[in-house]
Amino acid sequence: MVSPSSSAAATLFLLLFFVPTFSAPAADYQRDIKPLLRSRCFSCHGALKQKADLRLDTVDLIKKGGESGPALLPGQPAKSLLIERVTEKDPDDRMPPRHEGEPLSPTQIQLLQDWIAAGSPAPENELPEPHPRSHWAFLPPSRPPIPPTENPLWVRNPIDAFIAKNHQAHSLAPQPDAPPLILLRRLFFDLIGLPPSNEEINAFLSNPHPHAYAQTAERLLHDPRHGERWARHYMDIWRYSDWWGLDDQLRNSQKYLWHWRDWIVESLNANTPYDQLIREMLAADELYPTDRSKLRATGYLARNFFLFNRNQWLEETVEHLSKGFLGLTINCAKCHDHKYDPITHSDFYKLRAFFEPYQVRTDTIPAPDGFAKEGIPRAFDASLTTPTYRFFRGEESKPDRSKAIAPGVPEILSFKDLDIHPISLPPEAWQTDRSVWMLDSQIQSAQSKIPPAELLLSQAKEKIAQSPPPDPPSTLLAAELKFATLHLKKTQADLLSISTRAAATQLSWASPAPPPDTTNSANSLAANAERSAHLATAESRLAELELQSLQAPPNQRPKLEKDLQAARASLEKLTKSLALPPPKFTPLLSSSSLRSPTRFLDSTKDDPSTPFPSQSSGRRSALADWITDPRNPLTARVAVNHLWTRHFGTPLVPNLFDFGRKNPPPIQLDLLNWLASELIDSGYDLRHLHRLIVNSSTYRLSSANPLPSTDPENLYWSRRTPIRIESQAIRDSLLALSNSLDLTFGGPPIPPSKQDQSLRRSLYFFHSNNQQNLFLSAFDNPTVKECYRREQSIVPQQALALTNSRLTQDAASKIALQFPNPDDSAFITHSFRLLLGFTPNPAELASALSTLNAWNHLPNSTPQSSRSRLVHALINHNDFVTLR
Amino acid sequence: MTHPTHPRSRRTFLADLGMGFTGLALGSILQRDARADPTTPSTPDGSPHFTPKANRVIWIFMNGGISHLESFDPKPALNQYAGMTISQTPFAHTQNPQKLAIERLIVPDANGNQRNKLFPLQVGFKKHGQSGLEISDWFPHIARHADRLAIVRSMWTTDSNHMAQTQFHSGRNALDGEFPTLGAWVDYGLGSLNQNLPQFVSIGHREYWNKRDGHYLGPIHDAVPLRIDPANPLDFGKPASPLPPDPQSLGLALTQKLNALRGVEYPNDPTLSARIASYELAARMQLSVPEVLDFSQESPQTKSLYGMDLPHSREFGTQLLAARRLAERGVRFIQIQHGGGGAGAWDAHAALKSNHSKLALAVDQPVAGLLQDLAQRGLLEDTLVVFATEFGRTPGSQGTDGRDHHIYGFSVWMAGGGLKAGIAHGATDEIGFHAVDSPHYVTDLHATILHQLGLDSRKLEVPGRKRLEIDHGKVITQIIA
Repeated sequence: MVSPSSSAAATLFLLLFFVPTFSAPAADYQRDIKPLLRSRCFSCHGALKQKADLRLDTVDLIKKGGESGPALLPGQPAKSLLIERVTEKDPDDRMPPRHEGEPLSPTQIQLLQDWIAAGSPAPENELPEPHPRSHWAFLPPSRPPIPPTENPLWVRNPIDAFIAKNHQAHSLAPQPDAPPLILLRRLFFDLIGLPPSNEEINAFLSNPHPHAYAQTAERLLHDPRHGERWARHYMDIWRYSDWWGLDDQLRNSQKYLWHWRDWIVESLNANTPYDQLIREMLAADELYPTDRSKLRATGYLARNFFLFNRNQWLEETVEHLSKGFLGLTINCAKCHDHKYDPITHSDFYKLRAFFEPYQVRTDTIPAPDGFAKEGIPRAFDASLTTPTYRFFRGEESKPDRSKAIAPGVPEILSFKDLDIHPISLPPEAWQTDRSVWMLDSQIQSAQSKIPPAELLLSQAKEKIAQSPPPDPPSTLLAAELKFATLHLKKTQADLLSISTRAAATQLSWASPAPPPDTTNSANSLAANAERSAHLATAESRLAELELQSLQAPPNQRPKLEKDLQAARASLEKLTKSLALPPPKFTPLLSSSSLRSPTRFLDSTKDDPSTPFPSQSSGRRSALADWITDPRNPLTARVAVNHLWTRHFGTPLVPNLFDFGRKNPPPIQLDLLNWLASELIDSGYDLRHLHRLIVNSSTYRLSSANPLPSTDPENLYWSRRTPIRIESQAIRDSLLALSNSLDLTFGGPPIPPSKQDQSLRRSLYFFHSNNQQNLFLSAFDNPTVKECYRREQSIVPQQALALTNSRLTQDAASKIALQFPNPDDSAFITHSFRLLLGFTPNPAELASALSTLNAWNHLPNSTPQSSRSRLVHALINHNDFVTLR
Repeated sequence: MTHPTHPRSRRTFLADLGMGFTGLALGSILQRDARADPTTPSTPDGSPHFTPKANRVIWIFMNGGISHLESFDPKPALNQYAGMTISQTPFAHTQNPQKLAIERLIVPDANGNQRNKLFPLQVGFKKHGQSGLEISDWFPHIARHADRLAIVRSMWTTDSNHMAQTQFHSGRNALDGEFPTLGAWVDYGLGSLNQNLPQFVSIGHREYWNKRDGHYLGPIHDAVPLRIDPANPLDFGKPASPLPPDPQSLGLALTQKLNALRGVEYPNDPTLSARIASYELAARMQLSVPEVLDFSQESPQTKSLYGMDLPHSREFGTQLLAARRLAERGVRFIQIQHGGGGAGAWDAHAALKSNHSKLALAVDQPVAGLLQDLAQRGLLEDTLVVFATEFGRTPGSQGTDGRDHHIYGFSVWMAGGGLKAGIAHGATDEIGFHAVDSPHYVTDLHATILHQLGLDSRKLEVPGRKRLEIDHGKVITQIIA
């Protein structure tokens, strides 16, 4: 903060010493010219590209020129090609040309002219831009040697050795380890997203074992809540969203997408290797076509479903695949060659081509009672022939149909030939009407209709038994009895029809085919049963109408009479047909998988559907292979940067989704490379990386920073930077501390209307573009469209939510009740430790005590209500939402 | 956002605290501190870039797309050629595919079909005031203020689906992603005029489009949603279970004191002071927001001026009276959505006449009342009132009695805030199809508003977030007084 007086002093200083000069300053190459050329010209005339054989990244190269000769003549701006081209009137000949950039401003042109007029002075030994291949993130990952350290007492593992090297280089002394309670709170929030309980705190603080910390870390890494905590991180990166649309119309994502969320949680708990996670998400339908558990993973792709526009859908797919797994902004190449990275306009469409065949369908799953109630949204290749075209300037309406684009990767990242070959799918994967459980569920459904029919019949009989004379019973009661009798007969006939047809249908799938006798007999049984069921239906229908006409008011009789005639005719026809052999039975085919209909065509109806193909293109599994190949320079680096960021709140590479040339090598490049190698060499073992990180001294540093540091931004990690805890962990911790948290695992999301009452973890809340929980929103809940890193804002809405919500008020009362000791000081100390992770100092204790006393002396106060208020005040403490 | 600040000594921190607890002074400084990013040299300091003509904006937005043809841009030719297809009329040239190519569609269903059969005007027009501006008979109250209006009849946009609502606020087609909205830029660029209220508020529903105004400027620049319900105006605005004031204020004081004491151990942690400031503002908001929405001191005449005594205009009148009260108290940007939710109430694909006449009845008197009230209080001079919508409606009919979405030409108007009064600027062609005279993309409106507020959008640019030329727009100088 700058005080008013110091800023006044600064102003005075400026007035005294920076008197404007009236001679125009000469254009300086380093200050004015090179930055201008870099931002406006290098993308085509530099290391990335050398259009017209011209490079402008050193003065020598400018002088040397290209195809049209030297680009400048020192001292002669008017004769210099550079000036001629930037001032050219024809926008197609001008530099930068139309669509490549706006023309240079008059001031910029003047600077160029002045510099040339001054003889184009240049620095000595100017180096050209390095080749893009030498960019730090494009180099193959290699394991750097672990640096020797002069601080062996501090270094616990190789992470620390790399960090210590920079401490020494910048004369920084690392902070000591944080106090044990803060360390424990860190571990708990970081690894399971919840705070330690009072018992856990006491057990840890009284455990003298030197490995107590490591043991706790290990236990938490194997805790099922770990998967829930880290799943939420990956749900940010992988853009988890429940469905949304306009009113009831689903436009984006899919219903039942939560199966993918559950897959993420389960996979992390099983420590499924990171490369395997990617393979399953991108291509489980090709690699494990009948494994429903793994198919859930392709929810990653199902989430991108967009009802109306295929182009938008695939653009998002390509953009976020690249940003999330590769740290590349390939989306910049949608309209033109990338301005900074060696990615061509076509490269964007090459990546799109991997996804061109895919669509989304829902594989219904048998519910416990046998019926299809819901399903797993999943990817599949619907069309193996749709071509991919490059769009001129990214415009969907301007495809370049002269050439279909094949799937491929940018040349600079092409370390092997892609092995793309169509994959034959087993019949169960594409002949989805061949589903035994769907047959079973139809039989069960037919069975379930019999008891109600039996009940109806017994009720009709009962009525007659209890009815007073006359005998025989009234016409109405007789009609009721007749209908009930025939209705039961119909449900029984239906069951026989369904079960014999199911048997015959299933027999028709058998391979090798059974002997003809067996087949014929089953077919004949089914055909007869089906016809009998039709007949029973017709009889039942007639009886139903007869009953209705007895009950109907007179004005409805004419219509019923018509229906009766039709029913009699239909029954008569069926009865006559009994003389003939029955027609062939209708096979029981009912698809267990439903394609999510799209509306790309402007027809106001669902687009026509096509049968599921027997092959998949193999493109996505090839892409997954390439992404997860240890030679891919980006995948592991991007992955460990994400891991590091979640553990420390601050990344190693500042931009989590862009590792391109615009980004200079990170300060801790060696550490990044070492971690990436460790990830690859461990078989992409995420738990191994977590373990390394949380056991390092770097992780355990105190965030205290009592003296003004020479490294205010903590670039060299000599202390911890506190983290504002994420939205979900704040809510979950309130429930956990009040012993209310419902740890039920997985399942459908909690709808918005039930969230206020819900005690489940927040990751199970319905979360879409349109619907987000109000409390969570106050704490920078992720947007579903893009969230590579959470914001850590501090805004008044957070104060309101923590002060006034039912959630915090309830939690405060419950937490206060848990400590029966009547001693207020002990209660305060206990509450500080539990809620904030530290023991109050005397001033803090005195403040809390005096407020507690003040409350106690208010009318209508009880000791318990005062204690609730104290806990409530601590919930509002900065450190309640802070990981120190 | 948390930001590293310059390291401070323990002594400085404690000195600050001494101030902070007793008065608002520190709070306001910290508030600035918390929102400013010292790592970015160009971060605005809250001062305008040049002398402003307007100090605040009341932004009234009609969701769903109000028909320009039945509001502020009369086209008698539609009556003359009613029932003919456009190709049969002298205006066949409007169908030039090149002219239609500005459209960038996401959702094809509602709009793919051209609406070619010209549909007659569903309402009459009269000239009003000395300016003689023509305004439709559905807006008689606004028409009485014709001489205060600057109508722009030549707006265009590119998304003919309702994501154009977002586009109108951010200037970018949804296909490009999401970007900060105009209100967020104003919030980012200018300081608050009131330390007790958020400076950017949003009233009314906007389920359909994004609720995050700040985007890369940060959540601190999101609009704070206010409900016009004095009992519950603000999310979490009062305790779920009411507490007597004494325990509550003691609790807040304790929280603040403990946060301050934590600064002894962590003197260089900027989040502590930001947290303290956020609680101060929240506490003040809790008190001041209900006060703003307490209309008991407003006279019956004022309330009836806003149409609050009539059932059809009560709701919107109440929102606009709240807007005036917020404006009076220094809120910079007050964004009011009319007919939000779903595609938007004005989306008259069918039965345009009954739809628009009914909705006009709901907004006409409140908007007119706002103009008059602001004027009589001397506030209109430096308050910019904007009346806008995401797009217009097609000259051709949809079905038998509706109009479809239309992006090629539509109208908005503004009043006050140093603009010319009683003028219509720009024009569409004879059938209201294309903006032909001085066409303006939506960001031209943004540029004009920012200009009146003394801001230069180029000076607000955030490093690493390159904005395009079209994002900045061009100031509509012709309507500036």
